[in-house]
Formats: sequence, structure tokens, C-alpha cells
Amino acid sequence: MTLGRLALVFTILSLLGFGGGNAIIPQMHADVVDQYHWITSAEFTRFFALGKLAPGPTTTMAALVGYAVSGLTGAIVATIAVFVPAAVVVYTAGHWWGKLRGNPWRERFARAIKPVVLGLLWAGVVTLARGATDAPITIGIAVVATIVMLRTDWNQAILVLAAGAFGAFVLH
Amino acid sequence: MESPEPKHASLAGLAIAFGRVSATAFGGGQMPAIRREVVRRNGWLDDEAFLEVLALAQLLPGSNPSNVAVLVGSRVAGLPGATVAFFATMLPGFAILMILGAFALDSHLPWMGGALRGCAAMAVGLTLANTIELTVKRINVVDIAIVLSVVIFVLVLHASLALTLAIFIPVALVLTRPKTNAE
Repeated sequence: MTLGRLALVFTILSLLGFGGGNAIIPQMHADVVDQYHWITSAEFTRFFALGKLAPGPTTTMAALVGYAVSGLTGAIVATIAVFVPAAVVVYTAGHWWGKLRGNPWRERFARAIKPVVLGLLWAGVVTLARGATDAPITIGIAVVATIVMLRTDWNQAILVLAAGAFGAFVLH
Repeated sequence: MESPEPKHASLAGLAIAFGRVSATAFGGGQMPAIRREVVRRNGWLDDEAFLEVLALAQLLPGSNPSNVAVLVGSRVAGLPGATVAFFATMLPGFAILMILGAFALDSHLPWMGGALRGCAAMAVGLTLANTIELTVKRINVVDIAIVLSVVIFVLVLHASLALTLAIFIPVALVLTRPKTNAE
């Protein structure tokens, strides 16, 4: 029952995941935290952080949600549900894409979804921040992270690890 | 005009190329790594064809790396190629994340909670910076109005993703349409 619901939630997220993955963050939070209470808001942002730490798409964080719901089986179900439906759409679309070459609607659609996705990304940032910036120190880390990222090209996984090491000493 | 016929690729070659990127691209930067494998190292597609594939990957639902894997795999080795490239992109990241998760989330070490809080706060900052950078590129009244409306719709009115897309994609299509001479 729960596995079926898990599969359904992530399949819908997969099919609506325009804009490269992070635009589904607000809806994923609404489903797995607010509606089904599978994990807490703080866990949601931690899973996202681990998703950033591991190589591969951040969307793989769905595996951790599935794991919290029903162990390794849940992890596999959630991962397949969040990746495979979109992959099937992409495979199918790849075949008639060539015919759309030069069609003005293609450009117009590409242009139109950008601000919509950007709005979803901002909503995602707020959603993630609610679960993570809960004290002066965590707010400070987020602010420093923002400034460092805007000014340097440092590797994101190393920055997440550095913040983890800092948190291990300061935040327990 | 069609792009030049893509070179044929072996399934093992696809598995190695996409698996290598997925297992080693820690901290983002997967797309340059995929381009290096597909265009430079293996010569499966030329740069123009790769950009074409990337444009389609960004337009459709799904994470960009797995979408590119499906499209490249399909062009150079059909459905088996798409399947192999897709799983090669997903599996290493999945395995590493499960190990990380088992280590970090099932742990009862007192410092692990603090470490995870630090990681989460850092991830928020990284995502905020990335979103600021994307926003600064599109400062015009129409785009900012759409962005703000979507944010209010999602955060204040708690609209679903499906409803948000169903309303705002048509609105954006109208508002961002190319200007005609007949004003």
C-alpha cells in the first residue's frame, strides 16, 4: 500500500519535473512531509544535502525518502519511479524531435518555461531553508555558502563536506 | 538539415562513459564531464549535435544528466543504448548515496546530527546562490512578474506543481511571445 503510494508520488513528480530536477522540490516537500508525513522538514533538507554530496543527479535524494518509508525496497521503488517515467518521455520525444527543428513553437516553449521554472526554484529555496536554517549558526553557514558560491568556483561537494565537519564540532 | 550520422557505440563503451561520470562527478559539473566523454573522448556526437541533445534534455521533464544519457544512448545504439546509458548514469550515484545515507542517517554518533545540520545549511546556501545567478540573467519586468507570481502561488496559496504548470506555462507563452511589427 505504502509502496504503491510512494511509486505514484514519485512518478507524478517525474512526469512534471520540467527544468532539470530542482523545480520539483516544493511539490516533493508538500507530498512527503506535509501530506504523508514520511519524513520531517529537517530530514528533507538533509536528504537534499546528501543528494548534493553524492555524485549523480540531486533527484537521487528520492532514494533516501524511499529508504525512510520502507528500507532498501522503498529506495529502489522511489528511484525507479522518479527517473524512469521521465526517461521514457525523453526517449519517445527524441524520435520526433528532429521534425520539430526550426518550428517556432519549440523556441517559444523553451523561452516560456524559463521564468516558470525559476519561480519554482525560488519556492524550492524557501522550502529547503525552512527545514535547515533554524539557528544563528545554520543561518550563518547558509549566508557564507551563498557568498562563496557567488564569488568562487569551488567544488560543491567539498563545501558541503566542510560545512559537515564544522557542524560536527559546533552544532551537536 | 540533418546533423552528420552519429557514430555507432558499443553498449560497454556507453556503460563505461556514463558510469565513469556518474561515479566521479562529485558536487555538480556533470554536464561538462558528459560532454567530454561523448564529444571529445569517444566522438559519438559532434559539438553541435551535443548542444541539440542538451537543449531537448532541458526542455523535457527529468534531470538533465539522465535525459542526456537517454538521448545520446538512443542516437548511437538505439533502445539498448538508451537503457544502458540511463542505468549507468543512475546506479553509481544511487549506490554511493545509499552508503552515505546508511552511514549518516542510521548513525547514533552524537556529532553526526551536527554534521548533517551543517551540510543541510550549506546546501541551502549553494542552491540560493545558484538561483540568484539564474535570476540575474533575466532581469526584465515580464520574467520577474512571472517568477513572483509562481512563488506566491506555490508558497502562499499552496498550489500543486501540476496546477502551477497548467496555469503559468500558457500565461508565459502569451507574455513572452515574440514581438510582431503589427502593434
